[in-house]
Amino acid sequence: MRIHRGRIAQHKHDTLLREYLKQNLHELIQQKELVAEGKVKTQLSTLDLPTLRYGDDEAYLAQGGGSGSGAGEEGAQPVGGLLGGDHHGPEIRVELDFDEFVRLAQEVLLDEVQLPALQRPPRGGEVETEDLPELDDLDRMGLAADLNLEETLVASLLRNVRERGVADYDVDLRQDGWYFVEDPSASRNHRSLEVYVLDISGSMRGDYLALVRKTIFLLWYALERRYPTNLRRYVVFQDVAEEKTREEFFSVESSGGTHISAGFEKAMELLEGASEYDTYLFLFTDGETSSGDFELAKRKYEEALERFDLVCYGHVNPGSRGVGGFSEYVQEVARRRANATFANLVDLDSVRDALRECLVRVDGEGRQRCGSTRRSSPAWRS
Amino acid sequence: MREYEAVIARVEELARGLGLRFDPVVFRMSEAEEIAEVASMGLPNRFVHWYWGGAYKEIRLQQDKSLLSILELVLNSRPAYAFLRRSNTYLQNVLVIAHVYGHADFFANNHWFRKSNKNMLNESERHARTFRAYEATVGREAVERLLDACLTVATSVNAFERDPTRRRRRLVYFLEEHAPLEPYEREVLQAVREEAEYFDLIQRTHVTNEGWATFVEATLLRELLSPREWAEVCVHLCARPAPYTLGYTLFRAVRNRGGLQAALQARRYYEDVRLIDETLTQELVDRLDLFVYDPRDRSRNTNVDAVKEMLIEQKLYRGEPRIEVEDPDHPRDLVLVHTEEGRKLDPRRIALYLKAVHGLWRHPVRLRANGKLYTYDRRGLSTS
Repeated sequence: MRIHRGRIAQHKHDTLLREYLKQNLHELIQQKELVAEGKVKTQLSTLDLPTLRYGDDEAYLAQGGGSGSGAGEEGAQPVGGLLGGDHHGPEIRVELDFDEFVRLAQEVLLDEVQLPALQRPPRGGEVETEDLPELDDLDRMGLAADLNLEETLVASLLRNVRERGVADYDVDLRQDGWYFVEDPSASRNHRSLEVYVLDISGSMRGDYLALVRKTIFLLWYALERRYPTNLRRYVVFQDVAEEKTREEFFSVESSGGTHISAGFEKAMELLEGASEYDTYLFLFTDGETSSGDFELAKRKYEEALERFDLVCYGHVNPGSRGVGGFSEYVQEVARRRANATFANLVDLDSVRDALRECLVRVDGEGRQRCGSTRRSSPAWRS
Repeated sequence: MREYEAVIARVEELARGLGLRFDPVVFRMSEAEEIAEVASMGLPNRFVHWYWGGAYKEIRLQQDKSLLSILELVLNSRPAYAFLRRSNTYLQNVLVIAHVYGHADFFANNHWFRKSNKNMLNESERHARTFRAYEATVGREAVERLLDACLTVATSVNAFERDPTRRRRRLVYFLEEHAPLEPYEREVLQAVREEAEYFDLIQRTHVTNEGWATFVEATLLRELLSPREWAEVCVHLCARPAPYTLGYTLFRAVRNRGGLQAALQARRYYEDVRLIDETLTQELVDRLDLFVYDPRDRSRNTNVDAVKEMLIEQKLYRGEPRIEVEDPDHPRDLVLVHTEEGRKLDPRRIALYLKAVHGLWRHPVRLRANGKLYTYDRRGLSTS
């Protein structure tokens, strides 16, 4: 029998990684700028051997986009590791991919909240479609693996005839490369549309952020297992609301006042063209809406209830104070309305309870949708 | 395996016709996982350490995406063992076979590479067994901590260094000689240092080795393949990682200047520094799209001298800061010096690095760098 040394080594590596994350999750997760360029800064120097390195400011040798994969300034690849750093293999990352971070965070969180085990994850991260994209368009920029051989060879042949007068294939990818790419106008099929709305007014930071992000990661875990395709959109609001990319959403600066109505309004704008989806709205706030906004926020909330399949309102309350202001109003409404939930997020225990409630509703929706293709009003009451 | 027998024989014959001389090569069909394992650990049956685990994970990921994934692996032993990947296409494996003969020829003929220890496969396995035995007596965690520290200081090896006074300024040799280690600790440090020297030597001929193998591969396949297949291969050859494309480009330049004989000479007598120094020109730098990137002003310097200087420095010092033992003749105090003026070290790593050194040295360790004196002792790091 073969000993799988690679797997054993990976297991050791991942155990250390998990241990580190477990100990530092709370601090890591509340970094203001959680994601930058798709990576989570973790200062995981413990997972590298602590050899000395040059400072970040020192010049290095690089090779830029020669294979045609995004030759921008940031596309430049350092060649240090490949030319023989301290190891014969590729360099170990000190930063984590955001998706991997989320996966590990989910693991840690699930362990903490002791949610019932769901089916095995089909995959992690944001999933837009289950099928591989159709690469039926051509471009001069692309991934090396998607190289279109024929076009590239023809281009090379023509160039060589033109430049050297020889009909030879002396391929220079920078000049000759043609790549298969996805037709940007091709439409995709998504099953669930999740709109995440976050209050970033001055009061939302530190523990607030940590709690919201943990909740969102757990929601992702659950929703990814119920929908083959998830489309996620992100909104942040204070006095005004803006749509953000995922990366921006997890790297917000908190400031300004609170107009919850603006958050609802922006979320509803994102429903445009989403008639084929199950639509979810998750809003996180501390409920301290500005005094002039109260009535408008009520109206917008009612409107959102009409238009979303499920509206989950998270009252972020790590100090465990009483529920007041707009949140109190929502709590009241949610008792009467079938597609509204209210959660008082105090700690991980309350997150678990809120998730349970939420998932029961999501499940109901899912089952109903599978049973009939006709889009009907939600039958929540059970 | 049988479907490849004919083509292996044909490639071998072509290789000999080209003037290559090599020890026998044994081919083996293997799974992607096994290749990733050996590639991440460097040697099969080497001791298992979490550090390889990170590399293994990365390689497996690349294999899944089939981007720049490793197609082939050949072990520096006598006979040379080569792994073909089962999931490769027939054409890919033909490429691999030709490439492997390039390596085998390099192993047998390159003046520098021939100094490498052909018995390392067995020795690393013996090391692994020794470490496991120590795990049983002193505990897994103690051995792992020791290995972490040893692997960290082992980056200071230099396989080409023969001058004993300069050698003693290198931390790992200094520690081996003077550190107050238990016998088992000394044995582990020595074993890790031997393996590091082996890899260091291989690393110093890496570009030449891969470049030569790719050059041989291209030359043999041009004869072997139909024009259509050859054209396809042509594209793949210039889309490989840096050591391959750099070395291949340089060997082509050598051949264009002095014919095949010149290339054969270069593979016999050159190591990376000489190959780069004598062959790299501005035109090749432009074609390879190499440049020195300065993050301070986000500038690219594509000048051949700047690129060459940096490449050579990387080869000489493996891209690592130059650290020396200040006074190896007074082995009471351990003071390390960063000898490159004007360059800064990443301060976040200094405490962990010194902690690792302290773990072996047991007494206070000092480091002069970034215009400061760092001291690590039982109370931790202090700066003055």
